[in-house]
Amino acid sequence: MGRTQPLSTALVALVALAVGFLLAGQVKAQLLTPSNQVGRNQALIRSVQDLERTNQADRANIQTLRAQIDALEAQAASQSQTTQGLQNQVADLRAHAGLTPLHGPGVEVVLTSGPPGSDPSGQSRNLITYQDVQDLVNLLFASGAEGVAVSGRRITPLSAFTGSEGEVIVDQGPPLFSPIRIVAVGDRNGMEAALGDPNSLPSLGIREIQFQLTLRVRGAPDETLPAFDGSLEAPHVGKA
Amino acid sequence: MSARPSSRRPRQRSRSSAGPMAVWLIALLVALIATVQLRSQAEVERSLVQADPATLAFSIDQLSRSNDALEAQISDLAQRKSKLQSGGSTAADQALQTELDQLRILEGLVPVHGPGVVLVIDASGLTALDLQDALNNLAAGGAEAMAVNDQRVVAGVPIVQTAGGVTVGGTLTPAPWTIVAIGDTNRLAETSDAMTQQLRGDRRVRQATYRVESDIVIRAVVTERPFVYGVP
Repeated sequence: MGRTQPLSTALVALVALAVGFLLAGQVKAQLLTPSNQVGRNQALIRSVQDLERTNQADRANIQTLRAQIDALEAQAASQSQTTQGLQNQVADLRAHAGLTPLHGPGVEVVLTSGPPGSDPSGQSRNLITYQDVQDLVNLLFASGAEGVAVSGRRITPLSAFTGSEGEVIVDQGPPLFSPIRIVAVGDRNGMEAALGDPNSLPSLGIREIQFQLTLRVRGAPDETLPAFDGSLEAPHVGKA
Repeated sequence: MSARPSSRRPRQRSRSSAGPMAVWLIALLVALIATVQLRSQAEVERSLVQADPATLAFSIDQLSRSNDALEAQISDLAQRKSKLQSGGSTAADQALQTELDQLRILEGLVPVHGPGVVLVIDASGLTALDLQDALNNLAAGGAEAMAVNDQRVVAGVPIVQTAGGVTVGGTLTPAPWTIVAIGDTNRLAETSDAMTQQLRGDRRVRQATYRVESDIVIRAVVTERPFVYGVP
């Protein structure tokens, strides 16, 4: 008894040591990998946030400069009829390009992703995609819209949509997420009829049923669209 | 004699209850530490935006490109402003004429030219959505002016699926589609390459090719639509 007790104690201590090492290794492996991932993600998130701040500041700068240019042109136009004529022509083209606010009758469409986990396949078909927004904007223009804005981003003749899962980027960003609010000014009846047609947006229609995406449409007698605050530079194309 | 056992029993009891108590205490402490550790780990992860690294990398790439474009626009506007400040109505006329020409180009109101790509897509069964996707991809890939089968396209020109086929701006535009895009040829070639590779994997597509050209002319124009409902 006297010899076996120290032996068994030593054995228990050894086993405990081994278990301790194993546990420590396992815990380290479990925790360190996510920690590194978290660290990398945090660095990426900080970069995105920095770029978004720059993006916002640049847009504000563009709006200020456009307003200052408008004021200077108006001042010059008050002294010359030629300048006045040119300014009127530019004002009309700016309005059509989305560079000035627009208001009038229209519709508001709110597109919301389905709840998390509503696509059991893991393909995230419950999330809004940039193609959904692109299809909606095209439908609105085809059914009588004279101007469209997507979550405050005015659509211009050069507009394009990109994005990844659940993220929609219009032109020069910033990324937009659900719910996406699309406002159009134009032929309210035509747009409402097109949006009410079940064949108009087949992909969205199916995903509304399967993955609980929602598409809420509301007509209004007076909607307002903001002016475009991004870049309309086109350095490679010239008049033929 | 009788006192011995009675005096030993409580000691034995206190020894035997101290062992499990210590084990319970240690177990409790271990559980507490483990819980705290795991919870703090979970909290850190929960506090992060629910975005995977690929999405974040995509956002960084897009925002960097966007910010470059915004800064180019700022530089252009700042130059225009300083010219206006220094030059009176003559400078204003020049600035307005330049902007007039630029806006007519952007809105598709005049014929244009420049470097770009020509894509040819021959297929049966492609729909208006397929054409919209192709044009949107090119626009996102740097196209500054586009036409499909000699129909000028800008955002807002309706591309509609009808019983007779796809219409662009009200004109029936059957396949094969020849899509012309003017812009940065490096970016457009990269986009076109990805698009044609994907299209060739589509059973409906018989042909999907592209070529880069140093100077493309688009003569087709869009007719300006006056505002009927909207008030600027």
